[in-house]
Amino acid sequence: MSPISPEAAATLPHGINLLEGRLFQANEMHEAFRILRAEAPVHWNPGTDRFNGFWSLVKYEDLLHVSRHPELFISSKGIGGSGLRYPPPGQGEGSSSIITMDPPRHVKMRRLVNKGFTPRAVLQMEPKIRAVTNTILDRVQGRDSCDFVLEVSSQLPLAVICGMMGLEEEHWPAMFDFTNQILGSGDAEYQARVAPDKVGTFEGATLTAADGNRRMNGFFRDILADRRAHPREDDLVSILVESEVDGERLTEGDIVAFCNLLVVAGNETTRNAISGGLIVLCEHPEERARLQADPSLMPSAVEEILRWTSPLHHMSREATADTEIRGQKIAAGEKVIMWYPSANRDEDIFEAPYRFDITRDPNEHLAFGIGEHFCLGAGFARAEVRIMFEELLRRFPDIQVDGLPERLRSNFINGVKHLPVRLTAAR
Amino acid sequence: MSRRVEVDQQMCEGHGKCQAAAPEVFEHRDEDDLSHVILDEVPDALTAKVDRAIRLCPRQAIRWVS
Ligand code: HEM
Ligand code: SF4
Repeated sequence: MSPISPEAAATLPHGINLLEGRLFQANEMHEAFRILRAEAPVHWNPGTDRFNGFWSLVKYEDLLHVSRHPELFISSKGIGGSGLRYPPPGQGEGSSSIITMDPPRHVKMRRLVNKGFTPRAVLQMEPKIRAVTNTILDRVQGRDSCDFVLEVSSQLPLAVICGMMGLEEEHWPAMFDFTNQILGSGDAEYQARVAPDKVGTFEGATLTAADGNRRMNGFFRDILADRRAHPREDDLVSILVESEVDGERLTEGDIVAFCNLLVVAGNETTRNAISGGLIVLCEHPEERARLQADPSLMPSAVEEILRWTSPLHHMSREATADTEIRGQKIAAGEKVIMWYPSANRDEDIFEAPYRFDITRDPNEHLAFGIGEHFCLGAGFARAEVRIMFEELLRRFPDIQVDGLPERLRSNFINGVKHLPVRLTAAR
Repeated sequence: MSRRVEVDQQMCEGHGKCQAAAPEVFEHRDEDDLSHVILDEVPDALTAKVDRAIRLCPRQAIRWVS
């Protein structure tokens, strides 16, 4: 990534540059956010020749305000991660998914599928989620150790969303691969398909994300053709094929973009809530013991895990008119970025925000965002994390992190790439 | 003084936060899996609870109507 100019760097509070994936990879962002909340709650983070500058929002109330004004702060000009780049990826392709769609079309598209994601739909699916969880754990049963990310935490969200879309199991590893390329594009580990001299460069990241999107979209175009020829009852792809908005069928591009979003959003976040959850439980043995002694604390422990890990670091919006946040003037066309891990440790909202407390109450964290774009999969994510820890801690009560987690280099996803664990009690 | 409150059924996705915050005012119905307002007029004594429901609703589906 090209560094920002020395003049621009001099304007940064304490030199904190939130464009630096390294800050997040090293897990040092919380200290940076603490300083920003106290000293510069709305500050301008200059861009580079390759990245747009943006207003950085770190206070809970400011995230609420922006999320609840989807006409003033729009999503269609890029929502983050690689969307910090201009032009936003996907621009010019003519199709976008709900996450980069604004009112009034947004809610019409969302309503095509949202019945499949309600609390009731989740409840009906619970036995299946538990069965899949146990199949995953069966595969590591009897071993002393494993890579928790590759073998456990990534596998459940993958199975759940791919199952809902009606994708056969043989395709799941490819989905895992594509989502890593798309959301992990800035990390050299996922740049295996670019020329060696491009690995680790900005161009390598751009090419990697584009390659992942191209491959995933190609895959879904084939699936779509198949569903049109052989309609099925109730998978999400078939529902989209049959759907109309304003009296018109969705285009191939619309459906492919929707599928792409569901797979990416369903995988990369929940995986890291589970991995991050195990890490934080191992770091807080007393809280963990409390949970293992009383599994009825699990739902509230899951909320605290979500607050603590905030699997998505940010979402961004663009202002459509001149406005103000916390007295700071924001001009039409400027970007604002909402930093979820910071809002979720805001001293004005959370008592002792740096304490991991599995019975925290109230715990109205913003890990899933709020309002118009509130995470469609929140119910599934919560159920997956809860069921995974119920079964994991029941079957492997002595599981321990056994080595340093390898973290993702990204200011978008709070990712863990590899996590060595010991499954049984140390001998 | 009492006021009226409304749930936008286009936005509601049945998360039930409103019923938890103000059970006197909101009811989750099984038939459509959505929240319904069960009081025509919200008395002053319940205003704070409704304000809390409005704040907590993940979908921003609840609003006062003047
Ligand atoms: C712990 C796991 C998860 C976290 C932390 C998370 C976080 C988020 C956040 C913060 C947003 C809001 C974006 C915005 O305001 O612009 C969002 C949107 C979304 N999420 Fe999740 N998510 C998770 C799991 C899932 C799962 C499992 C699915 C699918 C099964 C999913 C599907 C979506 C979709 C489709 C949207 C776009 C909604 C819209 O724009 O209307 N997410 N997610
Ligand atoms: S809290 Fe909001 S989304 Fe949930 S049931 Fe009530 S109105 Fe509907």
